[in-house]
Amino acid sequence: MSSRRSRQSTAGVSRISDDQIIELVSKLQQLLPEIRDRRSDKVSASKVLQETCNYIRSLHKEVDDLSERLSQLLATIDADSAEAAIIRSLIM
Amino acid sequence: MHLPHSTLKQEFVKKWIMGLQRCKFSNNNMSIFERKKAIKLSADTAMASARKGLTCWSRALISNPDRPVPTTTRRASLACKKIVKRSRRIRRTAKCGAARKRQITRSIAQCLVRKRTQILKSLIPGGEFMNEVCLIEETLDYITSLRVQVDVMRSLASASVRASEPHN
Repeated sequence: MSSRRSRQSTAGVSRISDDQIIELVSKLQQLLPEIRDRRSDKVSASKVLQETCNYIRSLHKEVDDLSERLSQLLATIDADSAEAAIIRSLIM
Repeated sequence: MHLPHSTLKQEFVKKWIMGLQRCKFSNNNMSIFERKKAIKLSADTAMASARKGLTCWSRALISNPDRPVPTTTRRASLACKKIVKRSRRIRRTAKCGAARKRQITRSIAQCLVRKRTQILKSLIPGGEFMNEVCLIEETLDYITSLRVQVDVMRSLASASVRASEPHN
């Protein structure tokens, strides 16, 4: 990475190269399922940011739901199956 | 700094199992809510410690594991909607010359980017202290780590479902 990063002043003005930002935004684009599937090169930065925020929120929600589900599942894991024994020995 | 998915997954699983064992689920009479909090906390700690202190978000998450719900989100997203409405209204006015329209569109776009960057900062642990480049790099890493976390948790959930089924 080039060394044109600057410390952000309190006024919010930072001399960071546009190329750096464009490169990072395109990497972000690759990660987002919505935008990647559309295969368009003309996605604006604000759209990428919006999709990023939505994606992170949905991932947070999924972690929350899975934690809830695991909490209920692990409470009742006293069956006699081999898998139950493995799980019990792993985490309990 | 960017680890392959499988390496990150192994690190996460290792740390998460350690964390879950410490919760001692079999001994306690925890409520479902307390168990859920313990599972989530151990998952977040495992996800962060799998990065071995190499990223800002992971250090921020370990030092402050209770993710505060961003309170500025609603205000910022309402502001974004106002900006988008305003831009549509301005584009419709035929009185504006082409150059002026471009200027207005550009400044609206900059405004949107600023507002959305603010929202992103509230979502990434430790985000409020980052500059633009750092924020995007940390976001990339954070998203890949979140995916690993979701992946592993889903696998454990489906394994638990199978394990609870009556033995055939």
